[in-house]
Amino acid sequence: MNQSINRRTLLKAAGTTAIVSNMAALNVLSQPSFANELVRGDKSVLLLWLAGGASQLETWDPKPGRPTGGPFAKIRTSIPGIEISELLPKISTRLNETAIIRSLNTKIGDHGQGYELMDTGRVGEPGVQFPHLGAMIAHELGQLDSRVPDYVSMYTSTEGRRQGSAGFLGARYNPMFLTDKMIPEDIRRHEAITDVDHQDRAALRDFFAKKFVRDLASPSVSSHENAYERVHGLMACDYLFDIDRERQAMRDHYGPTQFGQQCLIARRLVEAGVPFVKVARAWWDSHGQNFETHRELCADLDQCMDALLDDLKQRGLLEKTLVITLGEFGRTPQINGSLGRDHFANAWSCTLSGCGIRGGSVFGKTDEDGQTVVEGEMNAGDLFATIFSALGIQYDKEYMVGSRPIPISDFGSEPCREVLA
Amino acid sequence: MIPTNLKKTTEWRFDDILFCIASDTGSSRVWFGSSDFNVYEFDTSQEKPERTAFTGDSHESYVTGIVRVGNTLISCGYDRRMVWWDIESKHSIRRVDAHDKWIRAIVASPDRTRVTTVADDMQCKVWEVATGNLLASFSDHQSMTPHHFPSMLYAVAASPDGKWISTGDRVGHVAIWDAMSFAKVGEIETPIMYTWDPRARRHSTGGIRSLAFSPDSQFLAVGGVGKIGNIDHLDGPARLEVFRLPGGERTLELEDNKKKGLIEQIVWSPDGKWILTAGGDNNGFVTVHDADSGVLAHQDGQDGHIHAMTHDQEFSNFHAASHQRITRWSMNS
Repeated sequence: MNQSINRRTLLKAAGTTAIVSNMAALNVLSQPSFANELVRGDKSVLLLWLAGGASQLETWDPKPGRPTGGPFAKIRTSIPGIEISELLPKISTRLNETAIIRSLNTKIGDHGQGYELMDTGRVGEPGVQFPHLGAMIAHELGQLDSRVPDYVSMYTSTEGRRQGSAGFLGARYNPMFLTDKMIPEDIRRHEAITDVDHQDRAALRDFFAKKFVRDLASPSVSSHENAYERVHGLMACDYLFDIDRERQAMRDHYGPTQFGQQCLIARRLVEAGVPFVKVARAWWDSHGQNFETHRELCADLDQCMDALLDDLKQRGLLEKTLVITLGEFGRTPQINGSLGRDHFANAWSCTLSGCGIRGGSVFGKTDEDGQTVVEGEMNAGDLFATIFSALGIQYDKEYMVGSRPIPISDFGSEPCREVLA
Repeated sequence: MIPTNLKKTTEWRFDDILFCIASDTGSSRVWFGSSDFNVYEFDTSQEKPERTAFTGDSHESYVTGIVRVGNTLISCGYDRRMVWWDIESKHSIRRVDAHDKWIRAIVASPDRTRVTTVADDMQCKVWEVATGNLLASFSDHQSMTPHHFPSMLYAVAASPDGKWISTGDRVGHVAIWDAMSFAKVGEIETPIMYTWDPRARRHSTGGIRSLAFSPDSQFLAVGGVGKIGNIDHLDGPARLEVFRLPGGERTLELEDNKKKGLIEQIVWSPDGKWILTAGGDNNGFVTVHDADSGVLAHQDGQDGHIHAMTHDQEFSNFHAASHQRITRWSMNS
């Protein structure tokens, strides 16, 4: 983990050795650190966080005609034999890129605890701050010399907003957290400073800083210099958040909603090399009027997820980008008195699309009313192991926290190989 | 005259959700539509009544509207279709694929020759009862809300004098139509019925859920819910507005924070002196107001949201189609 050979080093080494000796290049590639670097390979994760808990019955696991099924029909998809809710007509045409998991049993039906579970992949422990998924992915897939952020999280609604934490991985992997605006605040060059002045100042600072780092040879000074370089890099990437740079047709493809705009930003970030982007779409907590709520929110999800998969595919990015739809839990099969569904974590669904995923697959099964998992029960740790495996990250690798080894996926977790390519 | 009391007298429990109900002026039978996709007959005069499902070419989703026209029932549902049923044989006699999206409501014309439906395709359609032929299709309702989400057309009413039809949608827009030419003759805005939460939850709720003309067809009552703070629930005041026609001047505005939620049904008394409303949040309410002053006359509640209500010819017995039950309220004048 501490062997810090990055992609640029690898390419430089591989290029040089190619001139000297093909065998030498093969030897370089056989070293674990280089192999890890190949695993990284510009992969990214794009998490569509369905905050508040979307109903599996109105999305990925419909049960029309059953007392719990609700009023929506199911529709055929591009994969024979697989049907999803009629609320997702666009997604239904492109399930060949997506795996549906219908057998999550995560047991925790509380927003806060459910969020922690589904964002860390394990139940919390006193005294240990487990990193969230984004931080782990940033740690595993991020580039040390990257000039773009490793982890961007967008959550503009206030209900259920949680920043996410890098925990024991350290603040380096905390997210760039966008809440009020869709562009990071305070990263633009101050308008009182011209671009030329800005570059001149940077060059001068760079000259002195490099000499200082070289002469002092101190890890803390080097770290400070790295941090400064990162901030400088972030300032230079503000254009990634500017969707006015996109063609109108592309913006229309994602639709006019805020979620659509954020998904488009997410694609721009992934394209620029950001390894983990989370876009939270709140708020699915439909205790009342569940069907009206899902008619609204599924329309948004359908358009944006379809546009995202389409756009990533067109750009050749989908095979390197894992798109996840997930929330803290699902919703009760029982329909309450105000036509709502309440919190339910015993039998619910999520999807994985793109990188490392066997598209067109469905894993797990619930009973005819959606009350229990009857086949392929999966917990949060198993889901995380599956996500890591899809990305080529060793799912049982361990972090050392002091003298304690902590596996990246929870103890005993196994990836779901049926959905892996 | 304002009734002297309002009392829940009987309740029958079921496992399903009952969305709509129609009654027989000459007997104690009621018919209702269910979340199990069936239309049922239920004789409330029996000591232990059993419901009987109609058979034939039935619905394939929730049955959300039902009217009785002579010896025929006409139902509609989220499967986008209308079904004509013979009451005596309890069998379907006609099916019409009526709309492109969920049908929310159906109402019969005063002379019972036509029925009018509204649906989430935002169309209002008028049908000939005898043939099932479509006579007209029209709309004044936007298909998308101002916040770029699908809108919904929930409510329709026909005026007792046969001259007007009114339609009401999710964002609080009411259109009034000439019932013969189908030309739009007026509109009313009730924006408070629509809650858009731009900050905390970023979706919407509410909408106009009920409409009713006064007996003299001079007033239109509009029912729904007021602004909701936490749109996870129907935790907003039941809201009633009354407008004088044709100008649209608002004559009454009532919000009830005691019994909360949607007003799903409005019934005017035959003399126009009182207005009964029914609906609810997770629970149900029945409320009677003085139609002139708005003073609360009676109120009662129950477990389970009320989706629709019907009454006998004397306006003394009201049957509510509710979440997992039918309830009867009685009133004395």
